[in-house]
Amino acid sequence: MKLVKFIISLLAAAGLTYALNRPLGPVPALGRLFSPFEGFWQNGESKLDLPPTDLQLDGVQDEVNVVFDDNRVPHVFAKNDHDAYFTQGYLMARDRLWQMEFYTLAASGRLAEVVGERALELDRYSRRMGMADAAKKVYENGKTNKIFDEVLNAYAAGVNAYIKQLKYKNLPVEYKIIGYQPEEWSPYKTILMMMNMRNVLNGGSDDFRMSNALSKYGMEVVKDLFPNYPSNESPIIPVGTKWNFTPVPVPAVPAQTTATLSTSETVAFDVPQHSPEIGSNNWAVGGEKSATGLPILANDPHLQLTLPSIWYQMQLCTPTMNVYGACLPGAPGVVIGFNKDVAWGVTNVGSDVMDFYQIKFKDNTKKEYWYNDAWKPTSMRIEEFVVKGRPESLKDTVYSTHHGPIVYNAASDKNFNQNVPVGHAMRWVAHEKEGTDLMAFYYLNRAKNYDDYRKALTYYVAPAQNFVFASNQNDISITPNGKLPLKWKEQGKFIMDGSNPAHDWQGWIPVDQNPTVKNPPRGFVSSANQFSADPTYPYYLGWRFAPSERAIRINERLERMQKATVDSLRMLQNDNFNVEARRILPVLMKILNADSSETKNPAYQTLAKWNMKNDANEVGATIFERWVKELRYTVFDDEFPMKDLKAPMTYPSRNRMWDMVVKEPTAKWFDNVSTKNKQETLQDVVKQSFKASIDSLTQKLGPMNAETWAWNKVKSTDINHLGRLPGFGRQDIPNGGGAGIVNATTELNGPSWRMVVQLDKGWPKAYGLYPGGQSGNPASPFYDNMIDKWAKGELNELLFMKSKDEKSSRISGTVKISKK
Amino acid sequence: MTYIIILIVSAVAQYFLPWWVIAPIAFAIGAWKSETALGAYAAAAGAIATLWVGYATFLNSANEGIMVQKIGGLFSENIKFLKNLPVTPTFFTIMTIIGSQVAGLSATAGYHFRQLFK
Repeated sequence: MKLVKFIISLLAAAGLTYALNRPLGPVPALGRLFSPFEGFWQNGESKLDLPPTDLQLDGVQDEVNVVFDDNRVPHVFAKNDHDAYFTQGYLMARDRLWQMEFYTLAASGRLAEVVGERALELDRYSRRMGMADAAKKVYENGKTNKIFDEVLNAYAAGVNAYIKQLKYKNLPVEYKIIGYQPEEWSPYKTILMMMNMRNVLNGGSDDFRMSNALSKYGMEVVKDLFPNYPSNESPIIPVGTKWNFTPVPVPAVPAQTTATLSTSETVAFDVPQHSPEIGSNNWAVGGEKSATGLPILANDPHLQLTLPSIWYQMQLCTPTMNVYGACLPGAPGVVIGFNKDVAWGVTNVGSDVMDFYQIKFKDNTKKEYWYNDAWKPTSMRIEEFVVKGRPESLKDTVYSTHHGPIVYNAASDKNFNQNVPVGHAMRWVAHEKEGTDLMAFYYLNRAKNYDDYRKALTYYVAPAQNFVFASNQNDISITPNGKLPLKWKEQGKFIMDGSNPAHDWQGWIPVDQNPTVKNPPRGFVSSANQFSADPTYPYYLGWRFAPSERAIRINERLERMQKATVDSLRMLQNDNFNVEARRILPVLMKILNADSSETKNPAYQTLAKWNMKNDANEVGATIFERWVKELRYTVFDDEFPMKDLKAPMTYPSRNRMWDMVVKEPTAKWFDNVSTKNKQETLQDVVKQSFKASIDSLTQKLGPMNAETWAWNKVKSTDINHLGRLPGFGRQDIPNGGGAGIVNATTELNGPSWRMVVQLDKGWPKAYGLYPGGQSGNPASPFYDNMIDKWAKGELNELLFMKSKDEKSSRISGTVKISKK
Repeated sequence: MTYIIILIVSAVAQYFLPWWVIAPIAFAIGAWKSETALGAYAAAAGAIATLWVGYATFLNSANEGIMVQKIGGLFSENIKFLKNLPVTPTFFTIMTIIGSQVAGLSATAGYHFRQLFK
């Protein structure tokens, strides 16, 4: 009996302890998670949470001093570059380790290892795109550059110095909740982080949507509705700028420019299209336009907003540099920033750098494909997936052609990213193994003048960026820069023929012939992801860039601006004026008020009184944005359905639609082809879409009222946790803006870093912030402390220190790191 | 006495060892000191409850309760009934149940182990 009692009680105790010490499905080990000695309670932070004032680390070569300011920004003072990058790695890991590793798991298609089955399709897509493979090649190739290799290794050593001393109780709380451990860092992982950026910024394609439109409507219609240059452009390089180079010969346009789609070809879809929200603004005004007589530079890159934020602020000071700015967690150096003499920033170049080729296989083994009148062998690689919660791993075979990988090879594939054609090879600039992108930043961090800037740019590959520049020698410049394929006109606008050598990418635009301008007569340079140059530029870059509205607004305000100050540029970053409304609202209203009953509609009256600004409290913005969306849908979804499963297409641009409304009011496209025996006119669709907009808004928000219909309530900007952990993000941020607005804040995207730098002969003055905080710990007061100021459009003055001994009331702690 | 010893020993041990060390500690001290099964259970469960609640209260107030609110938000998205409960008391309760049950049952097992040799 005693024995029975013992055994029962022992089983109960041991069983419970065991059960609480292991994960159950998606639930992590609860005993450990709840224990105050190890679990989430340990992640609570009260104050600044700085490292100990005296820190000894294996790996530094000399003493390093780190000064933390009141915004918890580290200012690193090292005696050599190695120690600066080592310390950068250490401090970023301390604040952002989980996030850094998350990016690398995403890019290398390994998320299912930590989150299980639900990430498997995304992983399969990432693996087939071959980002991990490309990252390996980039590092192998890049490490022949000694500086590149040293910087990456010093950074990795710093990250690992932090990881090595981590115990479970100090792990970032996401590891505890999801239930896994950080791995060792390496230079390869830094490249994976950069691959992630290549994917976010260059990983979209419209090719098969365009092919579908082409096969349905023919070339004439496509040329008319999807032109290669918009009617309302205000390009980055000012019109009239001379091209100071002799162009290299451009490959001739082949007789047949597209693949022929057979009727049986299943085209499964939804590759992220070129996404205009993931755009950005930057500009610099020259001395003659500024109050100080020297340039002022501004940049606000727009990305999906997340917590922890994509940016981390830092100052790095060594005998070879003293630089401040925004850094990417996982990568050494400063990506957007300034030093004593220069400032620079980036926005994305929307050139077409992802193309698809139709591949004809010899048979189902996919061992050979037809190319240049012969069978050519494919290469094959097997990807293995470890999936959390699955006893054995899964395998996937990926075939590659000389163009690139076959992203999907059978109609039965479960396509995560459905915008990829079946049996088609992807040619993508992100696969280029020259990947010394970080060297461009390395040299920009140390740049002293315009020539240094030009030299730094030659190292940059992808994703192509518009590099804006200003120096205290009164130079300003902008260069859409990166490795850009040398294409024949419209090459890659449609799916190409993978068997025709004339369809291959045949070379690159010489890097010194990328569009660029220095000190233009108008006294400023700017970019907002619009076309890099007008059609006088001798090379074809792509047919679709971001819509021009932001660029038009920025350029017209800078044109008028005199005696510009930091504040005038800050206000331009927050400009909510709706250029599209200025252009088209009067036209649409005129159509509506032809019917006098409409003018009594309170929604009509609100629009008539609207100041055309997408300010937070405007109801007019709510109605207009909804109406334009509805109208575009009404006009085009019958002929160019975006979501059609068999043959999805894309709508003609908004600019093209407005041209049609104004200049071709009788165009056949206004008719709804799905209503038989009825011919809709422009007037009909304008009225219909207006009514539909008001109806759907009323249904969702109740009768119109200034409170519930306010633009910020409807737009409702959310900054979610990077890993989508509920409760770890911030929802419904009160601010204005919109997709075509200079203040490009939408539901999930927006200015991820705002910076304004006033150059000076002595010492620059700089301002900036991002919607997040320096700490990646959700319990830290510095997790999201900049969001409220960001939403109001304010900026923080950045503390740019001359030396470690500089006195400032903003210093809140110092740490001395020495050799162990 | 059992209560005090378990409290002190497990406080020290948990600083260095994983959380489940409370189980063998409660087992050993339950075997060594307890006179009844119920006494063993109550002393161990009480000791860990005191220790965990005390330490968590300290950590939680130092952090002004931010962490537990975030974790609460996370759990209540997945387990709906938690939405209607106040986060902090709920999470203290769950924690207390986990710690005290593991310790209490282990001490009881320890007591019964001792009885085998009496």
